[in-house]
Amino acid sequence: MSVPRLATGPAKNKLRSQTVNRTFYWMVVPALLLFVVLHTVPALTGIFYSFTNYAGYGEWDFVGLQNYVNLFRDDRILSSYGFTFLFAVTATIVVNIGALFIALLLNAKIKFQTAFRGIFFIPNVLSVLIVGYVFNYLLSNNLPLVGRALGIEWLSTSILTNPDLAWLGIVGVTAWQSIAFSVIIYLAGLQTVPAELYEAASIDGASHWRQFTSITFPMISAFFTINMVLALKGFLQAFDQIVALTGGGPGTSTESVAMVIYRGGFQGGEYGYQMANSVVYLIVIVVLSLLQMRTLQRKEADFS
Amino acid sequence: MNTEKSRTARWRRITGACLAVALGTSLAACAPAEQARVKLDFFQFKPEAVAEFKALVSEFEAQNPDIDVVINAVPDPDTAIRTLLVKGKTPDVLTLNGNGNFADLAASCVFADLSAFPSASRVKPEVQEILNSLGTCHGSETNGLPFANNASAILYNPDIFAKHNVEIPRTWDELIAAAETFKANGVAPFYMTLKDAWTVLPTYVNLAGNLQPRGFFEDIRAAAWTPQTGTHGFAKDGKEAAEKLKQLFGYRQPGADSAGYSDGNAAFAAGKSAMYLQGSFAIPAIRAANPEARIASFPYPTTNNPAETTLVTGVDVTLAMGRETKHPKEAAAFIEFLMRSEAMKAYTTAQSAIVPLADAGSIADPALEGVQDIFGEGRLIGYFDHQVPTSIPFTAMLQQFMLDGDTAAFLHRADNEFAKAAARTSTKKGE
Repeated sequence: MSVPRLATGPAKNKLRSQTVNRTFYWMVVPALLLFVVLHTVPALTGIFYSFTNYAGYGEWDFVGLQNYVNLFRDDRILSSYGFTFLFAVTATIVVNIGALFIALLLNAKIKFQTAFRGIFFIPNVLSVLIVGYVFNYLLSNNLPLVGRALGIEWLSTSILTNPDLAWLGIVGVTAWQSIAFSVIIYLAGLQTVPAELYEAASIDGASHWRQFTSITFPMISAFFTINMVLALKGFLQAFDQIVALTGGGPGTSTESVAMVIYRGGFQGGEYGYQMANSVVYLIVIVVLSLLQMRTLQRKEADFS
Repeated sequence: MNTEKSRTARWRRITGACLAVALGTSLAACAPAEQARVKLDFFQFKPEAVAEFKALVSEFEAQNPDIDVVINAVPDPDTAIRTLLVKGKTPDVLTLNGNGNFADLAASCVFADLSAFPSASRVKPEVQEILNSLGTCHGSETNGLPFANNASAILYNPDIFAKHNVEIPRTWDELIAAAETFKANGVAPFYMTLKDAWTVLPTYVNLAGNLQPRGFFEDIRAAAWTPQTGTHGFAKDGKEAAEKLKQLFGYRQPGADSAGYSDGNAAFAAGKSAMYLQGSFAIPAIRAANPEARIASFPYPTTNNPAETTLVTGVDVTLAMGRETKHPKEAAAFIEFLMRSEAMKAYTTAQSAIVPLADAGSIADPALEGVQDIFGEGRLIGYFDHQVPTSIPFTAMLQQFMLDGDTAAFLHRADNEFAKAAARTSTKKGE
């Protein structure tokens, strides 16, 4: 019995691997086509136009690298990068600390655990624009009343119309909305930690804090990495919450890069120039994400 | 001007959605109609005037049974029209706001030349000049006919003026004296709405438009202009207008920073301030807040010489025709139908606008009686900001200036933004 098996074995395997491969191709090719048509081609078109003075319509000419040169001389662009980094870094830190904390609470053996998990997920279901408009109303009308009642000067006018504080309002609303998603990922991570580790640790007399720093956090560090990368990448592209809350104001103090690209490119008739901005920004985001992955992954615990 | 553009996006979205529903049903109803009818694609930008244009269109269709006018109204007209142009789907007939954006499109020759239209000769020449000076195809055509004009004047509450014995100010000093009188009597002279950046513009366009030299924009919009090399500039010529703007906004009520345009309309409608620094376009919104609101108007006195006072007016609705339209005859008939005095009067009465015809007669809305004479005399200038490239965040800069009060910083920034725009424009021309 073993002889024919040996004889036919490799041939069968070869045949099978070929069929499997073909199936994979059938699955991958349509997705790849869609990706190329809907993503790569537009991206390349955009990169192409960044070397022109295209207004979005009408005639255009090549201008070489002039758009890129002007970009680095434009203080409005530079200050939008400054604001976006400040916003994204702050929001990433706030969201991850908040989400980790809430995830730990929701993972503990509390009553109505599932109900609480559902409630904490609600902000993520709501649209950012709706959340933004609601908070715009609250921050402009209700919070100043609280500030006046307590006699706090800086809180008695809307913080969204204060050039120095408006960004904090945006960070707050963004965090409120996006913590929910990070919580889900952290919860998934917490469920992968074996309960025996905690049992052994408590027998050894480890405090809760020690358990967190020595067991929980190292065990979920992969989830921490992905959350940090996703959060930073998402916040660097901030747009809708700013539209709903401040519209980039007061003045131009809360204009994010995405907003400048939209305004200048689609409303201001400087499509080519803002495409150059987009290309630079794409590179910035890719580089930042790679750096972040590398540094955080090095710190991840490896138990395999 | 930017005011119409930036009217709250939400409002537009709502009307847009309603219209989409309304259009959907009417289209469905029209669907089985015979093929012989000529279909005119009518792009209508003004969400506030959906009902008026619908009525005009049905009247036109009743008179011309072989023409079917399909109204297309969109939430964000400036972006939508560009999208249509990119796709090569220029509508047959359009209404657009006669601002810099319209001029950009006209200059790229996407609209037909309307100068030979019979109605073109009836338009008030000063108004046509304001529209054409922004930019036309080859710099010589007439690509848009003014359908309705607005006026940027100071709105005031005649009851409050009478109660405190204040005369209508005719000079800058009288305006400041009036503000002081109201302030001393515990009445808010103005209701300012700094949360919406563009609400600073109506005042600034009057001050800058009148106080800054003619030929200002020809100079600073030239290729490779810099504040050092140019004849004109904001730091050189813009100080007086900026200082006067700051002075007026110094009279703002407490909490003005977090008040928005709709708050302002409601407050002025309720008689909470003596004056309101908004144009004719705010009148329907004020009446919506309070149908009994007491509104009158006077032109901005920007200097101490009443003879120098001008009225800032813009073409709120301009009619245009696609250059490559398949139905030029029908489109022209529709435009001539809209340009009849009766149609324009009906529209301007409903929208508190001004008929831009030479033989228009008196302004229908009593709230605008105060600007009747100066409009009739043709002492008109266009909106200052229509000359500002849309890539410059000019309204945001004005808002910032009103919040920090730093005149030098504002003038420097304005010069800097124009220099950057000039550098980008020069790369456009010198390949």
